[in-house]
Amino acid sequence: MKHHSALTVDNISKHYQDGGQQINVIRNLSFNVAAGKSMSVTGPSGSGKSTLLNALAGLVEIDDGEITLAIDDSNFSYRAATERARTAFRRQHIGYVYQFFNLVPTLTVLENVQLPARLNRRSDLEALASSLLADFGLSDRLHDFPEKLSGGEQQRVAVARAVLLKPPLLLADEPTGNLDGENSAQIADLLFSNCRDQNIMLVLATHSHEIAAMADTRLHLDARSTAILAAE
Amino acid sequence: MITRSLLRFLKRTPWSTAMALVGMALGVASIVSVHLVSASISSRLDGLVPSSLADFSYYLYRDNLHTDDYFELRRLWRSGELPRVNRVSPVVDESAQIAGQSVRVLGTDLLSHIPSGETQTEPGQFVFNGVWVDETLKHTIPLPINGIIEAPEGTLLADISIAHDLLDWPDHQLSYIGLVIEQALDQSLELAENLLPGFGAGLPVSEPTLEIGPGWQLVNTAGQYPARAFGKSVLFNIAALGMLALLVAWLLIYQVAVSWLRRLWPVFDRLHVLGVEWQHLRNYFLGAIGLLASIAAALGLMLGWWLATKLLAMSLPNDVVALDLDAWVVLKAFSSALVVSCLGGAWAFSRSQRGGSGSLLAFITTLVLLTCGLFCVSQPDTGLAGGFFAIAVLSLAAGQTIGPLLTLLRRWSASIGGPYLIRIGIREALWHPAELSVALAGLALSIATAIGVGLMIDSFRLDFTQMLDHRLKYDVVTEGDPAALDALVKTPELANQAIRVQRYRTADIRVEGALVELNLTRMDAFESARYAYRKGLGQSEVLLSEQAAKTFDVLPQETLKILGNTVTVVGIFSAFGDLKPRVIADDQSVIAQAISDATKTSSVALSSSAPQTLASALTRSSLGLEIRLQSDIRRIALEVFDQTFAITTVLITIALLVAAISVYIAVTTLRLNRQTGRLLLDTLGVKRVEQSLTNLALGVGMGSVAMSVAVPLGVMFGWILCNVINPRAFGWTIELQVSASAVLWPCAWGMLAAILAGMLQIGGKEEGASYGR
Repeated sequence: MKHHSALTVDNISKHYQDGGQQINVIRNLSFNVAAGKSMSVTGPSGSGKSTLLNALAGLVEIDDGEITLAIDDSNFSYRAATERARTAFRRQHIGYVYQFFNLVPTLTVLENVQLPARLNRRSDLEALASSLLADFGLSDRLHDFPEKLSGGEQQRVAVARAVLLKPPLLLADEPTGNLDGENSAQIADLLFSNCRDQNIMLVLATHSHEIAAMADTRLHLDARSTAILAAE
Repeated sequence: MITRSLLRFLKRTPWSTAMALVGMALGVASIVSVHLVSASISSRLDGLVPSSLADFSYYLYRDNLHTDDYFELRRLWRSGELPRVNRVSPVVDESAQIAGQSVRVLGTDLLSHIPSGETQTEPGQFVFNGVWVDETLKHTIPLPINGIIEAPEGTLLADISIAHDLLDWPDHQLSYIGLVIEQALDQSLELAENLLPGFGAGLPVSEPTLEIGPGWQLVNTAGQYPARAFGKSVLFNIAALGMLALLVAWLLIYQVAVSWLRRLWPVFDRLHVLGVEWQHLRNYFLGAIGLLASIAAALGLMLGWWLATKLLAMSLPNDVVALDLDAWVVLKAFSSALVVSCLGGAWAFSRSQRGGSGSLLAFITTLVLLTCGLFCVSQPDTGLAGGFFAIAVLSLAAGQTIGPLLTLLRRWSASIGGPYLIRIGIREALWHPAELSVALAGLALSIATAIGVGLMIDSFRLDFTQMLDHRLKYDVVTEGDPAALDALVKTPELANQAIRVQRYRTADIRVEGALVELNLTRMDAFESARYAYRKGLGQSEVLLSEQAAKTFDVLPQETLKILGNTVTVVGIFSAFGDLKPRVIADDQSVIAQAISDATKTSSVALSSSAPQTLASALTRSSLGLEIRLQSDIRRIALEVFDQTFAITTVLITIALLVAAISVYIAVTTLRLNRQTGRLLLDTLGVKRVEQSLTNLALGVGMGSVAMSVAVPLGVMFGWILCNVINPRAFGWTIELQVSASAVLWPCAWGMLAAILAGMLQIGGKEEGASYGR
C-alpha cells in the first residue's frame, strides 16, 4: 500500500549542554520532504547531521519548533507526543539504517529482517522478508548470524529490514561510510530505488558528494549550524 | 598522562568502579564472616578440654593400668626408645561424688607441670594439697582452691596423689598415660587451622607406632573428648561449606577484576596504539585493581565482622559473643582480595592481550584431579578431607564445563524458537562465554551447594525422624537424680498408672581403650524394637551404635570383648547425635553382672494410656525429677536439629547472594560494552517493557545454564555428603533421598538471582545512550 505522506520540519532547534557550555547543534531549521522524494544531509563532523536524523526518528527531543509527519489523512506531531508514543510511531512508520551495528547480533539474517514485522504483528510480511533478501542477493545467507556477513552484506540486510514495512519515512545515517566504492554504490542504489519505487521519503546523511547528488534535495549543515537547502 | 587518562575514565564510569568495589567487599565479607564464626565455635570447643590436658595428643591405656607400667614406659622414653614422644605423664580421670555433686576428677603430675592459664583466686595462697577447679565449682568444693582453670563444668584438677584420695583409689591405680607426640605435619596443621578454623579435624591422622610391647592401646585424645570431636566434625563441615563460600567469593573477586578490565580495555587498546607498552599498562591496571582491592578488603572486614556477629547471635541467642579481628582473618581478607584480583587480573590481561582460549593443560589437570577425587571417595583412609577434596574437584570440573557448554549451546542457538525478543535474550545468555562463564560457574556452584546440603539435611531429617519414631515408644520419660529415679520405680501408686515402666542404667566404660557409654536395661522384644532389632537380647548379646561398630570395626554376629566378657554383636543401630560410641546390653547380661555396682539409673521411661495425667502426677510428686512427654521430646529434638543446620542455610544464602552479584556485575559489564544493542532496539521502536522481556529471557537463559550444571553437581554433592562425609565425620550413614523440594528451592532461588541480575539496570546514566551528534 502506498502512503500519501509528507514530512514538515518547522524552525527546529536543538542544543546540548557540555558542562557550563551550551552547544547549539541545530538552529532554526526548516524544510519539507514529499512522499517518494529524497533529501541528503551533508556537512562536516559535529554539524548536527546525526542529531537531525535522530530528531526525525523521535529518538531525541527537539527544544523548539515542530516536526510533523503527515500520513494519509493524519498528522503526527513530534513535540506533542510522549516518548512512548514516539517509540510506537517509530516502530510502525520509520525505517532507520545506521553506519555500524545495524543488526541484532543474536538474530539470524532472516530474523533481523522479519523483526519489524514481528514487532508490528504483521505476519503477512514475514514471507516477504525472504523474497526481499533474495532480491538483495542474500538468499544463501538467510540463516547465518550477522557476524558471518561482510560489511556490505550487513548493510544490505539493514536496508531490507528498513524497507520491509514500506514505512513512509526512511532515515539513513551515513549508510555507506564504512564501505568500499563498489558496495557504497550498491547500497545507495538499493536505498534510492526502493524508496522511489515504494513512495518512501528518504532522508540520508552522508559525507559522499556522489551519493548526496543522487537525492532530490540537498541540505548542507555547516559547523555553525547554519543550513543551506538546495534542490537538484 | 596515563594516570590522568585512567582517572578520567574512572570518574566517567563511577558505576563500574563502585560495582567493582562493592563486589569485592562483599566477597571479602563472606570470607571474613565464615572465618570468624568458625573460629568462635572452634574456641568454644577447645574449652571442652581442660586446659591442663590440652597438650596431650595421645593416651596409652591397658587393663588394670599400674604405676609400674608408667615407670617402665618412662624408662623406655628416657633411654630414647620412644622417638618423637616429647612428654610422658600419668593421668587419673574418673568421676566422683564430692559434697553431693558429680565431679570429674583429673589427676596428673602437677609438680612437674603446673596448670597453665589459671588465675589465682587468692594470690600467694598456693597449697600443696590444693586443687584447681572450673568456675562452677569455685564456691562449692570444700577443698583449698589454688586456681580456676578453663574446663567443662564440674571439672577438678589435682596432683595425682590428691586425686587418688578423692577417688578413694589405691596409690598404684591409673586411668591412662598421657603422651605428647610430635607429628611431622603438626606445624602445617596449625597453620591450616589458623587459616581455616575447624579444618584440621578433617585431615587424616597417621597413627604413630610405638615399640612398647603387647597389651597397650594407643588412643587419640580426640576419642577421649567425644563432645569436642563431634563438635569439631560439625565445625569441619561448616568450615568446608565456608570453603565453598570462599571459592564463590574468589570467583566473584576474579569476575570483578575481569569485568573491570573489560571496561578499561578500550582505553588500554588506544593507549597501546599510541605506543604505550603492554607491560606498562598491565602494571597500571594491577596497581589500580590492587588499590581498589585494598579498600574493598577494609570494607569487607567491617561488613564481615558485623555479619558474623549477627550470625552467631542467631545461632547462639543466649550467649554474648565477642569477636576479634585477629591477624589471621585480616591476612585472609587482604590476601584474598589482593592476590585473587591481581593474579586474576594479570591472567585476564594476558588473555585479553593474546585472545587466549581454554588450554589443554587445564583440561588434563582437571582430569587428573577428578581421578584423585574418585580415589578419595573410594578410600575411607583419606578422611573427611578426602571427601571434601572430591567436592572441591567436582566444583572445579563443573566450573570448567560452563565455558565449553556455552560454546556448544551457542552453535545450537539458531534453532531457538519463540518470540524474537525472547530469542535475543536467551541467545545473549549463550553467546558470551568469555564474559559470563566465571560468574555462571559461581552461580552454578552456589546452587549445587544449596542442593547438596539441602538433600543431605532432608535425608538426615527423614532418617532422624524415623529414628525418633522407633525410639519414642514411651509416653513419658523422667530424668534426674539416680536415687530419685530408683525411688520412682518403687513407688506403686505412680507405677500403677503406667502400662510399662522401663529403667535405664548407664556407665562410662573403656572398650579396647576407647571411652564408651554402656546402657543397661530390660532388653525384651519390645525394647529391642526401639533399636530396630526384633528379638530380646541374650546374656552374651549386645547392640552397638554405628559409631561403636565403626570404632571397633565389627559387624553383626562378630564378637567383642567388653569388661573381660566375650559378647556377640547382634545388631547395629543408628544413633544420630550421640557424642560417643554406645553399647546396649540386657540388665541381666554378663556385662551387667560385671559392672552392676558402677552403674547409675539415668532415666525411667513409662507408657500410659493417659500420659498427660501420668506426667502431671509425676510433676506433683516430691521427687524433683525432670518429666518430659514424648511429644515434647520429639518437638525439641526436631527444633535442635533445625537449629543445628540454621547456620548452613545462612552460609548458603551468602554464597548465593555473592554469586548473584557476580552474575549481575558480569551482565552489566556485558551491557556497558555492548550499548549499541539497546540503542538499536530503541531505534526499531522496541518499548522499554518489551526490552525488559528480553532481559528476563537473558536471566532465564543464564539461570538455565547454571542449573543444567548445578542440578547433577548438587545431587553428587548430596551423595558425597550422605555416604562419604557423614560416615567419616560422625560414624553414621544417611540414605540419600532425592526430594523435589531440596532440588527445586535452590533452583528457584538461583533462577531468581539470575533473573534479577539480568533485569536490574541500575547505572543507566553511565550506560547512557549516545546516538551521536
